[in-house]
Amino acid sequence: MSGRGENPVAPAIRVTDLTVAYGDKTVLWDIDLEIPRGSMVAVVGPNGAGKTTLIKSIQGLVPRVAGVVSVHGRPYEKQRKEVSYVPQRGSVDWDFPTSVVDTVKMGTYGDLGWIRRPGKKEHEKALGALEKVDMLEFAQRQISQLSGGQQQRVFLARALVQSASVYLLDEPFQGVDATTEKAIVTILKELVAGGKTVLAVHHDLNTVSEYYERIALLNVGLVASGRVDEVFNSENLMKAYGGKTSFFPERKAARRAV
Amino acid sequence: MSPHQFDIQLVAIIVAASCAIPGAFLVLRRMSMMTDAISHSILLGIILAFFLVGDLSSPFLIIGAAASGVLAISLIEAVNRARLVKKDASIGIVFPFLFSVAVILLSKYARNVHIDTHSVLLGEIAFAPFNRLILSGMDLGPTSAYVMGSILLLNLLFISFFYKELKVSTFDESFASSIGFRPRLIHYLLMAVVSLTCVGAFDAVGSILVIALIVIPPCCAYLLTDSLFRMILLSVVFGISAAVSGFWVANWLDVNIAGSMAFVCGVFFLAVFLLAPQRGFFGIMREKRRQRMDFAEASLLVSLYNQERGEAVKNHPDSRGMFRSADFASKVVEFLKQKGEIAVAGGKLFLTEKGRERVRTTVEGR
Ligand SMILES: Nc1ncnc2c1ncn2[C@@H]1O[C@H](COP(=O)(O)OP(=O)(O)OP(=O)(O)O)[C@@H](O)[C@H]1O
Ligand SMILES: [Mg+2]
Repeated sequence: MSGRGENPVAPAIRVTDLTVAYGDKTVLWDIDLEIPRGSMVAVVGPNGAGKTTLIKSIQGLVPRVAGVVSVHGRPYEKQRKEVSYVPQRGSVDWDFPTSVVDTVKMGTYGDLGWIRRPGKKEHEKALGALEKVDMLEFAQRQISQLSGGQQQRVFLARALVQSASVYLLDEPFQGVDATTEKAIVTILKELVAGGKTVLAVHHDLNTVSEYYERIALLNVGLVASGRVDEVFNSENLMKAYGGKTSFFPERKAARRAV
Repeated sequence: MSPHQFDIQLVAIIVAASCAIPGAFLVLRRMSMMTDAISHSILLGIILAFFLVGDLSSPFLIIGAAASGVLAISLIEAVNRARLVKKDASIGIVFPFLFSVAVILLSKYARNVHIDTHSVLLGEIAFAPFNRLILSGMDLGPTSAYVMGSILLLNLLFISFFYKELKVSTFDESFASSIGFRPRLIHYLLMAVVSLTCVGAFDAVGSILVIALIVIPPCCAYLLTDSLFRMILLSVVFGISAAVSGFWVANWLDVNIAGSMAFVCGVFFLAVFLLAPQRGFFGIMREKRRQRMDFAEASLLVSLYNQERGEAVKNHPDSRGMFRSADFASKVVEFLKQKGEIAVAGGKLFLTEKGRERVRTTVEGR
């Protein structure tokens, strides 16, 4: 694991008293959350629950009204390089004139710092990440000529070339087919097996127990967080989704047990 | 070519190149109309700078103008971030406001001074050769070539230092700030560069030509390439070509030079819009036609293939009912015969081995 003057026992992410508002609308209210190292965590909640806002405010991309975020025991601002971010796919202009490999190379910019340009080493790194996500053959392609799942893989590859230890992903499975989903899960699980921490916004309640060890249920406030087998139950889901859920984890578990 | 003509073209080339560089980023950031906002906002800066220095020809007027351009952009950003109105509306709110403040100041405190947008804003490129830089009796050429030359140099330095920062923050702002670049800072640096370029160029060649040179060449380049670097390069090439050919068109037709250059920009765009190989109008039409033909050929081949294997056939190939007209049907048949994928015997169509092969590889993906 990477270690740049970090506290070995501190959790990967610790969020304390986090409150975020847009205008006079409170979007996140007094969140306390701990993400242990080497865990794979789902952030679950209805549309507009503040999942994207949580991921962004952890990184200071939206201003916090109150609260502190620490990564490996130190303030996020000092640990920026430890955190890698995979935004929602729809957040960028895919008609931008650039190739797949150049997009992935952007992941190396953080390590390069200001002004220094990427060279051969960065190029190799980008190709390596593309190979990992099985997109090597598309390296020279313009990014607008990719399918949704391929775009998602490119974003993942861009995150992989960052030498980070914490990965924040916003709906990595949005609009991808089953094969791509499995491929992405495999890569994320490899990261976790290597001691990295993964936090992903997730929408499909059916796959939560299969993919993740831990879950944070969110709806403005934090409804519950902990191990999937302990807190992923219908009571908490009702609370998070305001009784509008028709998914009952217990039934599924029972079915599986039969 | 007279020295006079040479000077005009020299200034135009420098202006075109310095406009195209930041222009590429403005177009990609969907902010090209910012130049319009800047062109109206700078009167305020000019007036305030004039009140301070009391001299209409002072270089501080240019600095004041550039500063008010940046002010306009910051205000537009601020209105925009409040998310109460749409982006285009925030542009429309801010610059008339700044412009009207300038007009009020002007009519209240400077009624007897001859100062208006036109005196500073609307340079005229035809006069560029007359305003010369003379140092200790030596004629060094048109002043605006030096002013714009410095701005071009600044733009080149800016883009070569901050190329990757500009690229990543234009493509994906939140990612850029997550890796520690400061997209806001980059944004304001870019806007300062744009503002300075605009003001310098307004003074040298007039505002309509500047807007044309900032927006149109990058739009042409955008349709022709998939790489940001090549897009910037091509923008510069388009800008310079439009400037030079616009000059000679004006010379030939004996019309206004700046107008003619802006006009040639428009003509370039029309040509690229129609002719760009992939994204141009004709390119897209050609591609559509090719796809339609491909699809028609494939459907005929597949139905022959299925018929051959005794499978149910939705449209009987011989009836050719699957095509919209008998003409189109015979065209498809003719093409396929030429390619050797079908053969005709006794008025009936048959697949050749080559045709079978195509069905297997392209249609069934084997
Ligand atoms: N930039 C913004 N300005 C104002 N309000 C915003 C902004 N971004 C989000 N919101 C509001 O904040 C709330 C939370 O948004 P957020 O994007 O975090 O939800 P989410 O949980 O990610 O939803 P989804 O599942 O739809 O992605 C929503 O009600 C949204 O309308
Ligand atoms: Mg979201």
